[in-house]
Amino acid sequence: MKAHFTINGEKKEFEFSEGEVLLDLLRRNGYTEVKGNCYLGTCGACTVLIGGIPRASCVTLAAQVVGQEILTVKGIGSIKHPHPIQKAFAEKGAVQCGFCTPGAVLTAYALLKNNPSPTVEDIKIALDGNLCRCTGYIQQIEAIKYAIELIKGGK
Amino acid sequence: MLKLKGVSECFYPETIEEAVKLLKEGKDSARIIGGGLHIAAFPNPLIRRLIFLNNLHLNYVKENEGRVAIGATTTISELINSGAINYYNGYSIKKVLQSIATELLRNQITIGGSVAQNEPYSDIVTLLAAIRARVLISSGDRESEIPLKEFYAGNFRETLKHSIIKEIVLEKKGEDFRFGMERFVKNATEIPLLNMGILVQLSGDTVKDATIVTGARPGEAEFFTEGEEYLKGRQLSEKNIEIFADFVEENINVDTDIRLSKEYRAHIAGVFAKRILTSFLREV
Ligand SMILES: Cc1cc2nc3c(=O)[nH]c(=O)nc-3n(C[C@H](O)[C@H](O)[C@H](O)COP(=O)(O)OP(=O)(O)OC[C@H]3O[C@@H](n4cnc5c(N)ncnc54)[C@H](O)[C@@H]3O)c2cc1C
Ligand code: FES
Ligand code: FES
Repeated sequence: MKAHFTINGEKKEFEFSEGEVLLDLLRRNGYTEVKGNCYLGTCGACTVLIGGIPRASCVTLAAQVVGQEILTVKGIGSIKHPHPIQKAFAEKGAVQCGFCTPGAVLTAYALLKNNPSPTVEDIKIALDGNLCRCTGYIQQIEAIKYAIELIKGGK
Repeated sequence: MLKLKGVSECFYPETIEEAVKLLKEGKDSARIIGGGLHIAAFPNPLIRRLIFLNNLHLNYVKENEGRVAIGATTTISELINSGAINYYNGYSIKKVLQSIATELLRNQITIGGSVAQNEPYSDIVTLLAAIRARVLISSGDRESEIPLKEFYAGNFRETLKHSIIKEIVLEKKGEDFRFGMERFVKNATEIPLLNMGILVQLSGDTVKDATIVTGARPGEAEFFTEGEEYLKGRQLSEKNIEIFADFVEENINVDTDIRLSKEYRAHIAGVFAKRILTSFLREV
């Protein structure tokens, strides 16, 4: 089937199989910043925002989200112009192997959009589906707290 | 990796009638899609037709005269964020919902999909059955609302071949009701190893009526009728709760699977019963 999606602000048409999951559609079309791992919805590596909501793209059928706005980590900032959350993750040691990072950053992005001053508990609940084997989570939480400061300071 | 290899048709009906027609036509190879989590996580190669409910506007939580109507495609997260269920019979259902799976999955799992799937480990089914929720089934031209208990007692899988779940209805209970729920998981992404929900109606400090549901036994959620009968007419006291916890451990219908032994499950069931009833004691 063929359908339109808006990915990182750009409206695009893709051809895909009726039974295909969004993760495969994205990676096949060059959005390799979206990682695949468990394909069961349990690790969060494949997180994208669909209509602003974090979703596991490995268990989301592409056909279910036709016409919707999809955001990958490249849609919120770039190496030249990183989003404060991306900057904070890099500066606070919240990135080691980096495999979980695109998903964790997007989940944090959605959290701060809805709740600009989350408590540490709010951050933990939001990130509970984004597993990280490397950082032990403390650095990620510190990075999000730092990102809040950066955003509030307009940096 | 193409997950659903057999799928060749996707439909986006505008009405329930149309959805049901497509479902009936597609027979065993057609599936209604709620959040699509079960369908995508456990792909079935025999599925040929997907029927998406996106255009039916069944994402809602409406509160009206003591009834809370939850549209079938409402996700757990949407339910959490709706003010309507923050406190239900003095108990925070929101807290239970927030403990289910992970944020990513709560953003996808729908209430209708959970009820239809009746996964053996479902927390949603245990929760809804324990608070005596009702289910509104629709085939477009005909609708019927029945208690969840009755729905599961019948051949609900057959019913869902020619109708869909439109809504789940909660009826607010009076001040004399108490509800509590516990679930046992190893980590956020694990499915529960046991869950239990208890609703009691009190007359002073005595139990007038009770509903007890246990899930992840490891079988489908089940009403613990002996326990319900046992509690009726008994005073809710520390001593009686201790005795009841032993009764639960001895009589609850649980079993062994790869993840937990029958004995361990039974012991946890006793602990859960004690914890939940003790929490009521504080409010008596
Ligand atoms: C990794 C993982 C962890 C999980 N953890 C938990 C947990 O901790 N607790 C818990 O309770 N559950 C958990 N779940 C289970 C989840 O609740 C079920 O898989 C649930 O069915 C998913 O809901 P859905 O809306 O995505 O269903 P779908 O996949 O859309 O549908 C499931 C079934 O219901 C049918 N259906 C859907 N909507 C309707 C409708 N409106 N009317 C009629 N039929 C319908 C579909 O045809 C399908 O047969 C977990 C699942 C996964 C994959
Ligand atoms: S790859 Fe999607 S949650 Fe793990
Ligand atoms: S940085 Fe390696 S998994 Fe998180």
